[in-house]
Amino acid sequence: MFQNFRLTMAWLHTWFGLVLGFVLMVVFFFGALSVFDREIDRWSVPQSRFAPQPMPSFDQLLRPAFERMQPSKESVDLMRDRVDGPMPDRFDTVRSWGAYTTHRDPVLQVFASYEVPKARDPEETLFTLHIMDPRNGALLPDDHLRLGSQFFFPLHYSLNLNWKELGTWIVGFAGLIMLAALFSGVVMHRKIFREFFTFRRHKSTQRSALDLHNLSGVVALPFHFFFAFTGLVIFASIYFPVAHTQLNPLHEQSEQMEAHATGLPHERAGVAAPLASVDAMMAAAQARWAAKGMAGEIGFLNIQHVGDANSYVSIYRAGTDRVALTGEGMHFKASTGELLREDPPRTAVDSVTEFLTGLHLQHFRHWLLRWLYVVGGLLGCVCIATGFIFFVEKRKKQHAKAGGQGSRVVDALALGTVTGMLIATAAMLLINRLLPSELPGKGDWERAGFYGVWLLTLAHAFWRSAPVALARHNPAWREQCWAIAALAPAAVLANWVSTGDHLAKTLAVSYWPVAGVDLCLLACAAVAAWAALKLSPQTTPLVLAATAEMTHG
Amino acid sequence: MVEFAVWMLAGAAALALMGLGWLALAMEVHWEQVHGQTGPKARTRTLLRLLGSMLLVASLLLCLGADHPSMAVLVWVMLLAGGAVLIAMTLSWRPHSLRLLWPKPA
Repeated sequence: MFQNFRLTMAWLHTWFGLVLGFVLMVVFFFGALSVFDREIDRWSVPQSRFAPQPMPSFDQLLRPAFERMQPSKESVDLMRDRVDGPMPDRFDTVRSWGAYTTHRDPVLQVFASYEVPKARDPEETLFTLHIMDPRNGALLPDDHLRLGSQFFFPLHYSLNLNWKELGTWIVGFAGLIMLAALFSGVVMHRKIFREFFTFRRHKSTQRSALDLHNLSGVVALPFHFFFAFTGLVIFASIYFPVAHTQLNPLHEQSEQMEAHATGLPHERAGVAAPLASVDAMMAAAQARWAAKGMAGEIGFLNIQHVGDANSYVSIYRAGTDRVALTGEGMHFKASTGELLREDPPRTAVDSVTEFLTGLHLQHFRHWLLRWLYVVGGLLGCVCIATGFIFFVEKRKKQHAKAGGQGSRVVDALALGTVTGMLIATAAMLLINRLLPSELPGKGDWERAGFYGVWLLTLAHAFWRSAPVALARHNPAWREQCWAIAALAPAAVLANWVSTGDHLAKTLAVSYWPVAGVDLCLLACAAVAAWAALKLSPQTTPLVLAATAEMTHG
Repeated sequence: MVEFAVWMLAGAAALALMGLGWLALAMEVHWEQVHGQTGPKARTRTLLRLLGSMLLVASLLLCLGADHPSMAVLVWVMLLAGGAVLIAMTLSWRPHSLRLLWPKPA
């Protein structure tokens, strides 16, 4: 089909890169934002702007709160069809209570699951999840969208397309293509070392775009490779769902064997039993970690088979000081507080998996590495964006001569995924601060605003795209850069007006979650304004709007 | 203790940047950009490569001193990525400033 291997690789890189590049751009950009998802949560939900808290007292604060909890009305309604007879008013058989926090979270995630009486499948479970203020046990409103962890983060791995997990599959496919693109890119690039530090910004847009493409791809190659790869590892159970399909009987059996081996009961005994002091168990777990030379805070607490004689309490350490997601779990008998089991040292395979998933999910406490990850993610964005620009620059003259529209369409789509995505993100933050906090379904309005604005930017990009068909630049690049430069400071201003937390105040008290988001918005606006000026018709259209990505974190 | 780790990481970043700068200066194109004359001489080139590589290793050692090894490796790899971009951008916008790393030969 092609004369040689290099040309085959070039074809693969160009066309798969182009099609999946639009998806990868979303994945990389929102991945970079997700590094600071908890901080964006603070910015978007002002009620949660206080310092991170350790796991609160279970006996005094969590237990009464859990006892008041019931599954949400919506989840009960959804379950109705799978149950014989009417649904009960209260669900009294609690399968589990859980609480989760990290070193960056002021608020606590609490969840409970309930058995469903008379369900056709006895495994049916009703879940409920809330956000709690750990200082007083009050629950935060459920319809406040935490933009970081509930919108940008899932956008990163699922495009928020939840129907049949379609988005996760698309992202997985894009990740696979990313690996192929890295490999083919290395094959195509003849001068990896000779041009390692090369950015010839005075040459043609086509040349300088290719330089930036190579630079951002090569210097961060280990980052790109490991994040595409570990992303696939994290979702391996979705992409290869053997445990719940072909191997389902084995899965059940394995669960029972595991319960037998660990001594942690798989089933309820059916005999009621009281709950001993969980605070004492938490203290015991922390003492044992300290004795092992790894003193730490509690990250995750789970009580299985609540109220039953078989009930047990599992306590896991917050993984802040190493990459691997290791919990060093301690399991106690709930009725007596007796230590049932301490998780054994991990096997080599587990260690590797935990390192790979931990590398990507980054629960560690290391601000420098977090920022370096943002740099890596934005370098990925630059790489993809300059790839689009190179594609267009290389073809637009031929297309103009032949009367083709191909480069015009690609350029408009690139606009939508580069500047359009930034505009939509800034607009969403602005809408978040403009809408009143008590508005019902506030989160739905924010989502609608994000997608609506994004579609508008795409429409604008197409509307202004005619010059590309004449081998000139689309003025929408400049106009959308100005839009970013206006929207981002507007969001900062709206934050000030709606909460009183202006930069002078947040910086003075070093409240970095809010100050950081504000500063990043301002930096993003500055870069966008600079790019817009460079793109104005008087100056040579040399500087790529893609650099607007560089400082937006 | 925490303070000390911060200093080690700052040192690791500085060494990585300097090491990458020397490795870049060992290349003819970049030497010309920085010094405006052909070069470097064969001996200087070997020296630059040797010193540059040694600094990168020293940077890794500082990372290992600051963090758990699993984390240190990630920090180091990402410092190299960020450092390489900084050097490339300096070469493109302010090449002469790299004379700080290696004076122009007389």
